[in-house]
Amino acid sequence: MKKRYITYTAVFLMGIGVFTSCKKSFLELQPKGEFAESNYYANPAEAFAGLVSAYDPLLTETGGIDQTYTDVRGPLNCASDDCYAGGGGSSDTPDWQLWNDYQLSSSSGPQNGYWPINFLGVSRCNTILSKLTSVPGLSAATATEYAAEAMFLRAHYYFDLERLFKNVPLITAPITPAQIYNEPQATPAAVYAQIETDLKTAIPSLPITIPTTEDGRITQGAAIALLGKVYLYEQKYTQSAQEFAIINGTPGGTTPQYGYALLSSYEAVFDPNNKFNSESVFEINFTNSQSYSWSNWDAFKGSVYSEQVGPRNWSDATYAGGWGQDIVTTQLVAAFKTPYYGGTTVDPRYGVTILNMDSLAVVENTTYQASYQNTGFFAKKYMGLTKDLSSTGTNILNFPNDYIEIRLADTYLMEAEALVQGGGDVTRAAALINAVRARVGLAPVSATLANIKAERRLELATEGHRWYDLVRWGDAPTALQFKGFTAGKNELLPIPLNDLAATKLVQNPGYSK
Amino acid sequence: MRKTITILFIFLLSGISVALAQNITVKGTVVDKTGASLPGVTVTVKSTTIGTVTDANGHYSISVPSNGTLRFTFIGYTAQDVNVNSQAIVNVSLEDNTMGLNEVVVIGYGTQKKATVTGAISGVSAADLKDQPNLRLDDALEGHAAGVTVTQSSGAPGSSPNVLIRGEGSLSNSTPLYVVDGQVWDNGGYDGINPNDIESMQVLKDASAAIYGSRASNGVILITTKKGAIGTPKVTYNFYYGIQSVAKKIGLADASQYAQLSDEAAANDGTTQPFTNPSQYGTGTNWQNQIFGNAPIMQQNLAVSGGTDKSNYFTSVSYLNQGGIVTPQYSDYKKATIRINTNSKPKKWFSYGENFNYTYIQSTTNFNTNSVFGGPLSDALNLDPLTPVVVNNVASQPNAAIYENTPGNASIYPYLLKNSQGQFYGVSNYVANEITNPIAAEQLQNGNYNWSHNLFGDVFAQITPIEGLAIKTEIAAKQSFYGSDSFTPLYYLNTNTKNTGTNNQYVQFNRGLEWNWDNTATYTRQLGKHNFSILLGQSAEEESGNLVQDTNYGEPISSYKQASFDFTLPQTSEYGYANETQDVTHASLFSRLTYNYDEKYLLDATLRRDGSSRFGSDNVYGTFPGVSAGWVITKEDFFPKNTFVDNLKLRASYGVLGNEEALSPFLYSPIVGPLGSYVFGTGANQVLNTGYGPNSLPNPTLQWERDKQTDIGLDAVLFHDFTATIDVYDKVSDKLLLDVPPPSYAGVSGNAYENAGGITNKGIELQLGYNKQVGQFKLNLSGNISYNNNKVTSLAQLPYINVGSWQGATYSQIERDAVGQPYDAFYGYKVLGIFQSQAQVNAYKDKSGNLIQPNAKPGDYIYADPTGTGPIGPSDREFLGSIVPPWNYGFNFGVNYKQWDLAAFAQGVWGNKLLQEYRRLDISSANYPTSALNAWTPTNTNTNVPRLSNLDPNGNYNTISSGLLQSGAYFRLKSLQIGYTLPKDLMTKLDMSRVHVYVSGDNLFTITKYNGYDPEVWGGNNNTGGVDQGVYPTARTFRVGVDVTL
Repeated sequence: MKKRYITYTAVFLMGIGVFTSCKKSFLELQPKGEFAESNYYANPAEAFAGLVSAYDPLLTETGGIDQTYTDVRGPLNCASDDCYAGGGGSSDTPDWQLWNDYQLSSSSGPQNGYWPINFLGVSRCNTILSKLTSVPGLSAATATEYAAEAMFLRAHYYFDLERLFKNVPLITAPITPAQIYNEPQATPAAVYAQIETDLKTAIPSLPITIPTTEDGRITQGAAIALLGKVYLYEQKYTQSAQEFAIINGTPGGTTPQYGYALLSSYEAVFDPNNKFNSESVFEINFTNSQSYSWSNWDAFKGSVYSEQVGPRNWSDATYAGGWGQDIVTTQLVAAFKTPYYGGTTVDPRYGVTILNMDSLAVVENTTYQASYQNTGFFAKKYMGLTKDLSSTGTNILNFPNDYIEIRLADTYLMEAEALVQGGGDVTRAAALINAVRARVGLAPVSATLANIKAERRLELATEGHRWYDLVRWGDAPTALQFKGFTAGKNELLPIPLNDLAATKLVQNPGYSK
Repeated sequence: MRKTITILFIFLLSGISVALAQNITVKGTVVDKTGASLPGVTVTVKSTTIGTVTDANGHYSISVPSNGTLRFTFIGYTAQDVNVNSQAIVNVSLEDNTMGLNEVVVIGYGTQKKATVTGAISGVSAADLKDQPNLRLDDALEGHAAGVTVTQSSGAPGSSPNVLIRGEGSLSNSTPLYVVDGQVWDNGGYDGINPNDIESMQVLKDASAAIYGSRASNGVILITTKKGAIGTPKVTYNFYYGIQSVAKKIGLADASQYAQLSDEAAANDGTTQPFTNPSQYGTGTNWQNQIFGNAPIMQQNLAVSGGTDKSNYFTSVSYLNQGGIVTPQYSDYKKATIRINTNSKPKKWFSYGENFNYTYIQSTTNFNTNSVFGGPLSDALNLDPLTPVVVNNVASQPNAAIYENTPGNASIYPYLLKNSQGQFYGVSNYVANEITNPIAAEQLQNGNYNWSHNLFGDVFAQITPIEGLAIKTEIAAKQSFYGSDSFTPLYYLNTNTKNTGTNNQYVQFNRGLEWNWDNTATYTRQLGKHNFSILLGQSAEEESGNLVQDTNYGEPISSYKQASFDFTLPQTSEYGYANETQDVTHASLFSRLTYNYDEKYLLDATLRRDGSSRFGSDNVYGTFPGVSAGWVITKEDFFPKNTFVDNLKLRASYGVLGNEEALSPFLYSPIVGPLGSYVFGTGANQVLNTGYGPNSLPNPTLQWERDKQTDIGLDAVLFHDFTATIDVYDKVSDKLLLDVPPPSYAGVSGNAYENAGGITNKGIELQLGYNKQVGQFKLNLSGNISYNNNKVTSLAQLPYINVGSWQGATYSQIERDAVGQPYDAFYGYKVLGIFQSQAQVNAYKDKSGNLIQPNAKPGDYIYADPTGTGPIGPSDREFLGSIVPPWNYGFNFGVNYKQWDLAAFAQGVWGNKLLQEYRRLDISSANYPTSALNAWTPTNTNTNVPRLSNLDPNGNYNTISSGLLQSGAYFRLKSLQIGYTLPKDLMTKLDMSRVHVYVSGDNLFTITKYNGYDPEVWGGNNNTGGVDQGVYPTARTFRVGVDVTL
């Protein structure tokens, strides 16, 4: 009798024991619809997806700490003497207005977009770089190429951070929780050294040409051009000119190997149907195929900037209209109408760069809504056209217009400047600037620094370079006085208030914490 | 000799067997100590299955071995054993046990005699709840258990209250753990329980909860459902019907007053006055009268139970149908429950049983309550009284054009809603956004309802291989199906709230499964005066669920009645969506040692080791110890006998408890998910590539929140009739989950979670009871009061956490967590008074001569300037009070005289603040409360209501300040009931046991200074306490009912 109980008890306890033994795995669950980091990066496709996430912030036009518009061109244009922030009123897109008026504070301004977005890029580059060495099935050659792309991107993000904020934490590996609040600001020299290292490491492993199906991936030429540009900002003129020479080849010709050449038509450079043309060195690829609506906020890969620069309350057969932002200053109009090289003929690039809405409205016998601080002149290079309106999604969020961040005319002028500033070959410098001029049918000028500066303004107007150039040259306090620029302060953006709390960061000079 | 012995032995044996076989019939009467006969007492022959029950006169008759023992048991009385000794008549007087020391209370994974309990446990029994028609079991805790704060979040039928045990002990989740019949149901399984099925609820408030380890720190509520008792089948039927109505409407401006106040605000702002001759508008529409109405409530409950000592059963069915007092035609809540349980003991060493519950709920209460974003309450509070409910005369309307069928009005006219007479519902000319005509808006509820099926229950088997050892295995599961159906027609309510595109039909279906498997072994032994009990146990649990929903756009119909998913629509018009919840698993080991010496020295030690899938990889298991001890001083020899002190027990406990409910699955792990995208290729070759990457930083050390709790208590029985329990506790919570936004240079989109916060709760609780019977007069009093001091002690690197949101306010986050302050304390300016003149404004300067309130005008609030520098700004804000009441009390009063009974229950809170956010700040044309009529004007200066202004440059109305806060203290008569039990001789004639009829009133009156609908405020859009955006008020209910026992 007793024995029987004992048998039952034993069976009972064994049943419990079986269950207890599988306990450990019972608690180790895998997330559904997502991956644990420890299980991801397990095949080449997953490595590629990791790389794509590092590309993503290149084209982030919306979001950031304050969830507003932060295109890589928009705020920079209205901070310069080329544009006003414009828009529907003095409070339309306040971050842009604040920079336009030089009323930035640590809590408000485009730093709330540029800072987090570029660091997002840095972090994603760091993540994928830390994973690439151990991805099963990924060939060494592909891994090296992915790493080179990530290093280019990290250099690109850090270059923007350095130019905008100067005093930034230098983070080159995935951040650990213990480090989060303890990152110190690195010296600008250390940041530049890292940028150079990344680019120099990346260059040999990047492809010289890529198939059209891969357009938008980083090329060797892009990395060399960026390195040249970095050297230029560091005032390492000789090294800068050397790098640009590789890209530029013979002025006006086609670059050996890389195949870069100026387009015969200036207007064609900005045509969304002419993407990745021979003048494009580094191009940010927008799409009209994704049917984005407002619910995709923060994830748009269609050009919202094209909508932003369109005139308000306007649509005709040519121009789709938009929100009237980044309207052109009369200073820029004057630079075209009374060119630096003399004469009274309007510079031929004027019509491609600027749209005179007042006269267009007269011609069409109708009206548009004036923007805040309206001049009647609108930035035309990226303006959304009626023919490019997408047929699906919220069409104003789906313009296809690309942004060629580095193009050959720019590298010509940067090399010319490096040569002039660094005491290099002035004849080549003249050949470079005059190749840019010849393409639009202008007569040669001499390669002086003043001419190069003036030529850069006309050639590259509203392309997002002017503010950086003015600050780099030390011309900003004068050129931007009319906007309230304070020397010794406004060369940099304030570090966002958000990141000053509980961290080791020190605010940039002139800005309060 | 040997033979002789053998024969003698056989003889003796046969003698014994003869004696055993000899049964006699014993009769008798059972009475209580006053001599009143006791019907329904269970009489059993000890150690057998033979039993009977006393009749209406307390008589019984039973066949019993002449040397057997009879056992008399009855709820509320001490069981008594009587040796028959061949007596033919055995009369018994049972001692009542109102002090309950011999009561058995449920503790985690077992029971314990109340006399030997060493933890701080508050209980609510079926007897306490008998005369209170509670709709939910958590409602039943309100005011009944010291240390338990229950705040109704909404008076809408079926809504659940906020329950806190000994204060907020977490920054993320302070919800207690509910354990039903021994099974942990995390996700609202207790919702479906019929309150009539509850035998008892025990609240484990201190280290006694440690047996529930990582989920214990917010306290544990143990719910035990009724089982069948030994005896003849018992059939009970309860029914009541009642009418609910709103207890209080608040003062709102009528049409003339609205126009007058709008003009006054405009005049103060120097802007154009919108109305001329305000008195021409009369009273206008009283929107409160439109939305509130009477609503019926009806409940029926039938239970059948019975059993022998070999098996018992309990079956109940119930049905509740409750209307809502807000837009009653569109507010309906129906709940049906079935419970079946049986327990069987076929062998002395083997028993088994099951307990099964099914609940179906259908409700049409899709209303936004405690929200400023629309819904009938918000509409009634904000919509101007000028707008008519129904437009009788289009031409008289200021916005007459929208009611006209003109080509220019094609985007409005066809979508206007009409009543059954074909008249248009009024559209306001003044107030828009989410605020609409509530009577028009309620039409959109047609065809919308929520439903749920909940099946849960358990089966167990237990063996007793040797005396004192019980090995039990129990498997429980909860399968729930719930969802909603709705239809959105084309409509136009105002320029912001409309659907003029396509109609849509929506269906949602959720499934949830949770299973538990517990295995326990309990060994109980008595060695002389040493009493031991050892429990060892092991448990495993898993929760999972999923959701499927579908929306069909553009069905070719004109009325919700025709809506159907069977319409064939283009695929692009059918949007489906599904998701799966992340599973959660637990694996646990637990043990308890209970020891007492002669029930004088008591000791209880528990240890639980919990493994949870929510914990980080460095901390998969947590260990949670608890220990408590007690000393029954009155049992000591030195304690004087025959004093007024009948029983005195000193208790102390300490335990480490966890809270893992604050953690979401995989919070510890960086999850790799879609992270950005980028386009490669051009033209036809263009491909959007999706990026993947980790969306947060890892924290493998992430673990449960920890709570270290010390409790010292005293239980006393005095003067035989008076009980008192006092507890003092110190609850130190640390490792609280903090959601720390990393600096953006870390480059991660998700926040980092850390175990770094701290909160302490210190308090004192007093529970008193008094029971006295004098002849036919029976008195029953009980009360409790508790005080809790809550303080945030650590937020790690965070300077503070802002909480809450207030649409359109200067500081939208109106509460703040900061070290040294109570949880979610109000944070804003302190009001010193009202400026009476411009000179006074100009004189209010800081040391440097700067004006402190440069924007102020006479009639504006004067704010304190603690920083001492003008102008007033964010850093001048101060902490203004707690959202959680530190004081809670409740009071029960019961008296029976002959056939009559009277019961009253009152409860209240004291010490908290409320912010009333009824008026939409971003809609300056919203209606005004009547208090605005007393606003400061140059001729009405003796007031504490600041001047009206739409621009409000001084922030009188749009900035949180002490001037806007009100005391949340209240005292409420929750219920009052008068009943009559039909006389026994009538019962005998009818062959029934008991018929009780009653009338009762709930929520009869509330004493409070708070001028809103209801001082009980929690949750809503803010998902926090203390903020009233138009909470659904608790109804006042009158009901009549009958309880029948066959």
